[in-house]
Amino acid sequence: MKITEADVEYVARLANLEVAEDEKKELADQLSRIVDYVEQLNRLDVSAVEPTTQILEDVKHATRDDRVVARTGSSDAGKTIKYFKVPKVITER
Amino acid sequence: MNLKNITADKLVALYQNRDLSATEVITGVFDEIESNDKSVRAFLTLCKDRALEEARRIDGKIAAGEALEPLSGVPVAIKDNMVLRDVPTTCGSRILEDYVPPYTATAIERLRGAGAIIVGKTNLDEFAMGSSTENSGFFVTRNPHDLDRVPGGSSGGSAAAVAAGMSLIALGSDTGGSIRTPASFCGVVGIKPTYGRVSRYGLVAYASSLDQIGPFAKTVRECAQVLSVICGFDPYDSTSADVAVEPFHKDLDEPLKHVRIGVPKEYFVPGMDPEVRARFEDCVKVYRDLGCRIDEISLPHTEHAVAAYYLIATAEASSNLARYDGVRYGLRKGGETGLAEMYRKTRMAGFGKEVKRRILLGTYALSAGYYDAYYLKALKVRTLILRDFQNAFEQVDLILTPTCPTVAFRIGEKTSDPLSMYLSDIFTITCNLAGLPGISVPAGKNSAGLPIGVQLLGNHFQEALLLRAAHHFEKAFLLQ
Repeated sequence: MKITEADVEYVARLANLEVAEDEKKELADQLSRIVDYVEQLNRLDVSAVEPTTQILEDVKHATRDDRVVARTGSSDAGKTIKYFKVPKVITER
Repeated sequence: MNLKNITADKLVALYQNRDLSATEVITGVFDEIESNDKSVRAFLTLCKDRALEEARRIDGKIAAGEALEPLSGVPVAIKDNMVLRDVPTTCGSRILEDYVPPYTATAIERLRGAGAIIVGKTNLDEFAMGSSTENSGFFVTRNPHDLDRVPGGSSGGSAAAVAAGMSLIALGSDTGGSIRTPASFCGVVGIKPTYGRVSRYGLVAYASSLDQIGPFAKTVRECAQVLSVICGFDPYDSTSADVAVEPFHKDLDEPLKHVRIGVPKEYFVPGMDPEVRARFEDCVKVYRDLGCRIDEISLPHTEHAVAAYYLIATAEASSNLARYDGVRYGLRKGGETGLAEMYRKTRMAGFGKEVKRRILLGTYALSAGYYDAYYLKALKVRTLILRDFQNAFEQVDLILTPTCPTVAFRIGEKTSDPLSMYLSDIFTITCNLAGLPGISVPAGKNSAGLPIGVQLLGNHFQEALLLRAAHHFEKAFLLQ
């Protein structure tokens, strides 16, 4: 599938990225080639196959009580940093 | 002091016998880095003062006649995507240029607990995205065997540091081959353990379902020693496997007779370097001579692995890298017209080309209308690749392949064509998709003097067998 410069702009907006004017065409071309390549997966019939998101499903994954405990190697940054300052969140469109 | 002719176990024995002091060795290591790293450029940050302080502490222990830890006074380099408290961690990215972490990764914490001395943080492809270390936001690392060539990637700095004798051990991370490819290109041993073996706590995430930490060293035995230290359950990583860790270095010399080794027929791809292919045949013969049974096997979905990988890894990356927004870490740009504009300006200025490309590809694969066609399909193909291996491991104990289709390529050779760079990962990528342990062991050099690597893959949690087979190969190959 051909990725156009407009597609690049759209996806960049979704990803909170800004792409320079002179990069758009190059990115569109490179992404088109990559997408063409990955479309080889369409040759496989996977309609009856379950997806795998994690390999070791039969291994007991760690869960713990949500309590704060001291750990070697950690600083007390969590206690000293009170807040992060950010620019205006609500702006006019 | 160059470390090319010494191993970790010998060094600790020298300390114990008071033939060498840790202070001499660590001072010598920094002298070596100072002269040698001008050309190789493996290190991003050095931890000289801390390292010398540690060395003095170990010398104090020796003087007091105290027993040493298994890695006491052993110099270790760390890929700069693992956090070490109060030392900058950049991930090779301008966006984290000023980031100083407030905590230490579990793997590093365990190494230090075993007496290891961290000498510095090594260069990498930005956020571990690359196969050559050319994508670092700071500088290119060079292959110590030929300074005009890449060291492989993304853990290129770690592999080069060990190959050049600037560190004995190094930690890397491997998402699609990022330990095994540079090990192969630099002529050292590198192992990616089973997914979940080593805690990822403190490893900056690239693709969380594929990332795994592992060591580099000159010998299989040293890798086994380091693995015995860094593996094991960690409550701070929810994907950490609660599986017993054997002392991997103890039974390395047990005979290898009757081990069944599979050679996948799909791994002889067009474009493979003829010298690499011929050397691979020699490696098969080494195992046959060791009394192993060699079987041809089939991993029929291999040809789709690179495609599935670059959809899954980039999708996970696009999500993982969303946190670099100018709010909590290092760089911040813009902000004059509001928060959203600050996000975009910061990310545009801080991320390099390859990282932006992968975030865009991953975002595309996850976006409305394309999720089923790309991301979900890739996850299903991942199931097929996993099944290929499950079937193969019913017939054989280990799988033998070349690590890479070629030797180290020239700097700049593949930078203009991202797809050709991606395809160089063809032999290493399947292992991550299936979560298997894999090791690259040096198999001599080609006619131009460039290292060639051979890869062994094992079933989940079979590191002991994998290391034993690699150790026997290493010994037998040296005798040839």
